[in-house]
Amino acid sequence: MRRGVLVRLVAVGLAAAAVASAVAFFVPWLPTPASKQADRIDFVFWFVTGISIAIFALVVAVILYSVVRFRARPDDDSDGAPIHGNTGLEIAWTAFPAVLVTAVAVVSAVALAQNENLPKKHLQVNVLAQQFAWSFSYPKYKGLTVSALHLPLNEAVELKMRSKDVIHSFWVPQFGQKQDLVPGITTKLVITPKRLGTYPVVCTELCGEGHALMRSEAIVMKPTAFASWVKAQERAAAKASQGPSGGGPGLAVFNSNGCSGCHTFKPAGSTATTGPDLDNLPADARRAGKPLSAFVRESIVDPNAYIEKGYQPNIMPSTFKSLPKQQLDALVQFLIGGKK
Amino acid sequence: MTTATTAHDELHAGAAPPPHGWRRLLAPGWLRVPWMSALFFGIGLGITLLVRWAEGWHPIWDGQVITTIELVAVPFGFLAGIGGFDYWTRYAIGSPTQPEDHSGHGAYSWRDYFRINTDHKVIGVQYVVTTIFFFVAAGLLAMIMRAELARPGMQFVGNQVFNELFSVHAALMIFLFIIPAFAGLGNYVIPLMIGAPDMAFPRLNALSFWLLPVAGLLMLSSFFVPGFGCGWTGYAPLCSTHQELGAVFFNMGVQWAGASSIMTALNFLVTIITMRAPGMTFWRLPLLVWANFTTSLLVVIATPFIAGSQFMTMFDHIMHTNFFNYEAHGYVLGYQHIFWFYSHPAVYIMMLPGFGIASEVISTFARKPIFGYRLMALSLMAILVLGFSVWAHHMFVSGMAPWLRVPMMVTSVVIAVPTGIKVFSWLATLWEGKLNFSTPMLFALGFVSMFVIGGLSGIYLAAVPIDIHVSDTYFVVAHIHYVLFGGSLFTIFAGIYYWFPKMTGRMYDERLGKLHFWLTFIGFNATFFPMHYLGIQGMPRRVSDYAPRFADLNFFISIASFFLGASTLVFLYNMIVSWARGAPAPANPWRAHTLEWQVSSPPPVFNFDEIPQVVGGPYEYGVPGARHAVFNGDRVIEEEEVNV
Repeated sequence: MRRGVLVRLVAVGLAAAAVASAVAFFVPWLPTPASKQADRIDFVFWFVTGISIAIFALVVAVILYSVVRFRARPDDDSDGAPIHGNTGLEIAWTAFPAVLVTAVAVVSAVALAQNENLPKKHLQVNVLAQQFAWSFSYPKYKGLTVSALHLPLNEAVELKMRSKDVIHSFWVPQFGQKQDLVPGITTKLVITPKRLGTYPVVCTELCGEGHALMRSEAIVMKPTAFASWVKAQERAAAKASQGPSGGGPGLAVFNSNGCSGCHTFKPAGSTATTGPDLDNLPADARRAGKPLSAFVRESIVDPNAYIEKGYQPNIMPSTFKSLPKQQLDALVQFLIGGKK
Repeated sequence: MTTATTAHDELHAGAAPPPHGWRRLLAPGWLRVPWMSALFFGIGLGITLLVRWAEGWHPIWDGQVITTIELVAVPFGFLAGIGGFDYWTRYAIGSPTQPEDHSGHGAYSWRDYFRINTDHKVIGVQYVVTTIFFFVAAGLLAMIMRAELARPGMQFVGNQVFNELFSVHAALMIFLFIIPAFAGLGNYVIPLMIGAPDMAFPRLNALSFWLLPVAGLLMLSSFFVPGFGCGWTGYAPLCSTHQELGAVFFNMGVQWAGASSIMTALNFLVTIITMRAPGMTFWRLPLLVWANFTTSLLVVIATPFIAGSQFMTMFDHIMHTNFFNYEAHGYVLGYQHIFWFYSHPAVYIMMLPGFGIASEVISTFARKPIFGYRLMALSLMAILVLGFSVWAHHMFVSGMAPWLRVPMMVTSVVIAVPTGIKVFSWLATLWEGKLNFSTPMLFALGFVSMFVIGGLSGIYLAAVPIDIHVSDTYFVVAHIHYVLFGGSLFTIFAGIYYWFPKMTGRMYDERLGKLHFWLTFIGFNATFFPMHYLGIQGMPRRVSDYAPRFADLNFFISIASFFLGASTLVFLYNMIVSWARGAPAPANPWRAHTLEWQVSSPPPVFNFDEIPQVVGGPYEYGVPGARHAVFNGDRVIEEEEVNV
């Protein structure tokens, strides 16, 4: 290859690389990392991006240069140079990519091992997913169960995750970590939050009609704030179970079936917004034109019978019709809270 | 378009006269289809009811079971009616077989495209036209999806309908467009390229084609059942025990499409191995033939796995077996392992023929031999072998055995090596060529550049830590569209434009072709490139609704996708009008060396009036005096060539 050709080729390549680099660096591609794992993922991401820009620039340079330089004139019916191959070149472009991808694999394997390393001192949270709600419980705090994931800053967390029905997948984009929840097995995920804030919890595995609505929040708090949040939750739970509505068994049914994953209900301390706010049940029953207790019972066993304005049918599972009568009665009692 | 020749008319001399009156109901064709379909419907219904009654299963009339049985019985009735089994049935029941009079060969009017036809060229056209129909149908489904996604919240369709839209979109694009479109192009050109008069098994070839409309109609009709809303991946247990009957329409659609592609692949293998013209050694095969050879190996080895996986989910659904039912100790992840053991090789089934087309087009329009021909062929074989060792990279977050991830990452990134060899060889083929930028070349170059982006995003997805972050997000949506749209579809377009003169005998409109390319190229990048960003930032795939902060970009993507959809109209207009009224095509408009261009456009019914003698490689551009093949008139006798 003549020297002039090489210079022009390199110039086109550098220009392509500059454009690709500008796209890579001036667009904020990655979410601001909020966990130590996300930092390592970002490192691998930029490592691969560097290699990709180089290869992309090389390919673009050769194509653009060829398109301009080797374009046949309209009246030119001749053939190109009869070059059949070049063993040296062919060995080079077999060996060189092999080295690059080996580097990618090594860097990835190291980052993966570090990301799954769980320190001895860590917090365990049990995650339960079902169509279409999340619930998080803390074995360390007497099984405290909530619908939004609360985590203390800078403490490693191990999520032990189970699914009740189909496959779901837990993802917080800012944490970078993701793991499917598979019915019948318990999967694990390690996260070490490093930035305060509230982040979305997203289900990323298609899980049925309400998949797009299966959302919750992950809230990273200062350790002291986390401790007082735990205390407040424990107090609220104790109060609810002794409350005038006779929360006891009804509250247990409410929590163990994941109702708090989708519904706001003050007596249970839940704040989720996927489904209607259960504090407004009396008003809803009036709109539906039914007695309160019959309305509540019907809405549990046959959720599509009445759909509150602004909500969609078929999102609430119809599986609750198989609840034992005793539990169903307790749940209805708890929800109507002594009102008639 | 007619392909009549006098030589063929002579062969017709002994054909039996067509039947008259009520006997026409017995002759294979559309008159026999309705009553045979009804007959098989009755047989299916009778057997089901009889078995349920005899076994004492209640209710005897079970809609789910009956529908499932009829999804097998009625298509068989249709195929029997149209004449797919006539010859073999006669043989099997001991009737005298009818001597082959070639009356089912060739097309003399448009009607000949709507019946069982054993001419590989007619079947090729049937394939391509049918698959383009399903391409348009699946594309329209995507347009509805993008309309819904243009704004956050729900506007046009419900959640379940949205899930059905993307499921059927993908199922049609994969099983009824990309895979069979390549099979169709191959069907047309492979026998021509190797100097054969037809495929090895013409009747099997005809049957393979007629399975396709069956599969496509099953998948489309799943909307009316309702309920195929569990994605084209059909993961258990969502698709096995948490779906309506529509999922069974998908399960059975895959069986019909899969059977079709296995039979075609078998046909390709036997044709390529046994029917090459004298002198056509493996090292003289055009690279498209190499590509279809490796693809066919992939199909016959891998497709039975998806057939098995779909039968198992269907049995879980209908017969209450427990293959993937965790409550009865079924193996939920087992589905994914079996499914991806097919569906990763399926990516190469959808890609390797495109590599072949790109090689043909780039070599012809660069007027240069393919750079490193042998390494190009060997890298296809390397991809074939490696392709079976990477399936679990679709499962890095699935909860499978953790140790499996690093080995699968290593094999996945190693596939970049043979793929890189192909890309670099195409680039080197351009170097010092005489590039002609006709539409096929534009699509081939568009393919190389877009496929590089798809390949590079594949490296991100192979690297486990990055995959954990972007798995099941719009990043994956972007990646598969760069590979399957920028890769497969661009090469399908390149192939259709390249062989359009050969298939129809007419030239397409070059200006409209170029317009189509640029509209598609721009629309494609505007639609799919921003999806990388959405995915990394946190938008999961397969959702009908999304966080408000993604609204602006989604709106932009929707507009771009409508632009992309509209570009297809240019293509359809060009194809239809040029087929009807285009300028007559010369035998070899591209001055290519491969054999299909050495016969008239369209070719004679039996392809070659005289058998070609292959004397050299297929891409000897610029080599003085070099020839790929000679015909009787000017044969050069080379002793070592004749006895191959």
